[in-house]
Amino acid sequence: MPPAISIRGVSKRYGAVTAVDGVDLEIESGQVYALLGPNGAGKTTLIEILEGYRERDAGEVSVLGFDPQRQRGELNRQVGIVLQRSTPMEGLTPREMLNFTAKLYDNPMPTNEVIELVGLTEHADRRGSKLSGGQKRRVDLATSVIGNPDLIFLDEPTTGFDVSARRQAWEVVRGLTERGATVILTTHYLDEAETLAQRIGLIKDGRIIFEGDINALRREMETDTRISWHPPIGFDLSDLLDEWKSVRIGPDGRLSLPTQEPTRHLSRLIDWARNRGLEEIPELQVERPDLEEMYLDLVDDSSALGTQARS
Amino acid sequence: MNAEAAWRSVRLGYAYTLLSLKTVYREPAAVFFMVLFPVLFLVIFSSLLTFEIGVPEGAEGQVPAIKFSQYFVAGILGVAIFGTSFNLLGNSLAIQQYDGTLKQLAATPLPKSSFFMGLVGTALFYTLLQLVVMIALGVLAYGVELPDANGWLTLIWIILLGVPAGCVMGVAITAIIPSARAAPAVIQAPFIIFQFISGVFFTLSSLPTWLQWVAGVFPLRWVAQGLRSVFLPDAYKYAEPGMNWQLDIAAIVLAVWIVVGLGLAVLTFKWDRSG
Repeated sequence: MPPAISIRGVSKRYGAVTAVDGVDLEIESGQVYALLGPNGAGKTTLIEILEGYRERDAGEVSVLGFDPQRQRGELNRQVGIVLQRSTPMEGLTPREMLNFTAKLYDNPMPTNEVIELVGLTEHADRRGSKLSGGQKRRVDLATSVIGNPDLIFLDEPTTGFDVSARRQAWEVVRGLTERGATVILTTHYLDEAETLAQRIGLIKDGRIIFEGDINALRREMETDTRISWHPPIGFDLSDLLDEWKSVRIGPDGRLSLPTQEPTRHLSRLIDWARNRGLEEIPELQVERPDLEEMYLDLVDDSSALGTQARS
Repeated sequence: MNAEAAWRSVRLGYAYTLLSLKTVYREPAAVFFMVLFPVLFLVIFSSLLTFEIGVPEGAEGQVPAIKFSQYFVAGILGVAIFGTSFNLLGNSLAIQQYDGTLKQLAATPLPKSSFFMGLVGTALFYTLLQLVVMIALGVLAYGVELPDANGWLTLIWIILLGVPAGCVMGVAITAIIPSARAAPAVIQAPFIIFQFISGVFFTLSSLPTWLQWVAGVFPLRWVAQGLRSVFLPDAYKYAEPGMNWQLDIAAIVLAVWIVVGLGLAVLTFKWDRSG
């Protein structure tokens, strides 16, 4: 089976800002692919180029074999799109919206089935103005899937949701993905990518900086264990700090050492303390930071303690 | 376009018309301003201004003078036509271009032709609704006399050309609307000016010639004149510029507006102006 999406060297600039910077990407059919990255990383620009909303400045794009810039009409028949912002439905009810949308496709799902799939049965005949943000999102999801698309785009499907609304939305999305369509999802939540996607592309400053499954991402990011302690008062640490260039100082004054050899470094630290007659190293901890923390470190340079410590 | 695609486009245009009619009538403010506003104008002006309009020069002795309401119903129907097509359509389109409604619609296989059909269909429906309300009110409350068979025919083609002309103007003007909030102002300004220079409130001949020429470039002047030919005795054509109803020119101007305006509308139309 040919890939659902294949792009090469895609770039998009807005004035001096390069939103997407020479991205190559291949997404297999039937896969749930998450484009993960912080706000402003270029996720939405990239996905809107794939959807046909934006024109690229450079590069080749093939979505289900079509060029979205020139063959959007054909593409729209096989694609479902959930935009970042929910459709304001004004006075229309979900059932009315879906009945109309179904007419636009050659082979639509029955409206009732879609309503059930997204869990809107109780609200199907309520006007849009009376629906909550989460319920409107379900209408968006239903609208995107009613035409039996081969490919579904979900642009930040749960941004702004509380925890329980997000979990419910994930259930819905999982229901959609089980139907066999390829799904491309953008998100800035790592747990969302982890829950829904088989493959993750990490995007930052318009470039894909990592691609692989969640375990590969884990391996990529979770290389270091952290030894941390509070500097003991009255002791000179300069020899230790000279030896360990990568020690960071946290905002609370704690020192932390990222290391791939925690046993060796811990034993060195303990020897150092013993040699100086220090019985207890204050607040000593050895931990493996969780993926979320590593992700935040990676996407947000300013939060990395090391840069503060060394500047 | 083959027959199957054409039929699909018409079928979906009809479906979109129904959907958009529903959206409009569930917005009470929109219905109020669209339907009630011109009706209110008819009531106020016909109640306040009860004088008769003198028989024009060159037609003395042929006909009796007419009531102001008879003159005004023609003009206000013209306003109603552009109120629903140009004004209301332009406004709701601008809002939908900024709030994401049309962006979402652009993700579906709805043909553009069906979309435009839906716009015209909606405007046509509400124009007819106002027409019925205002003619009934005029006849029952203000002694307006109904047109003859020929007049009805003219009325029909004026509507069938006037509404699409207003619609393409409504679509085209969204190209210069910078935000949803600015929409009413950008649309109202020309709309009010059109009303004052197109013979709705004052007879065309009372305007300076250059202003008549300006008005003559836009459709409302011709629609209003055509409607006067429907509702006024034939002898009142002597009060018009050229002492003639000029229906042939009206048809040509409206047709040109539809063609040129449609081209402009299609070229400048955007599903999404928010980004």
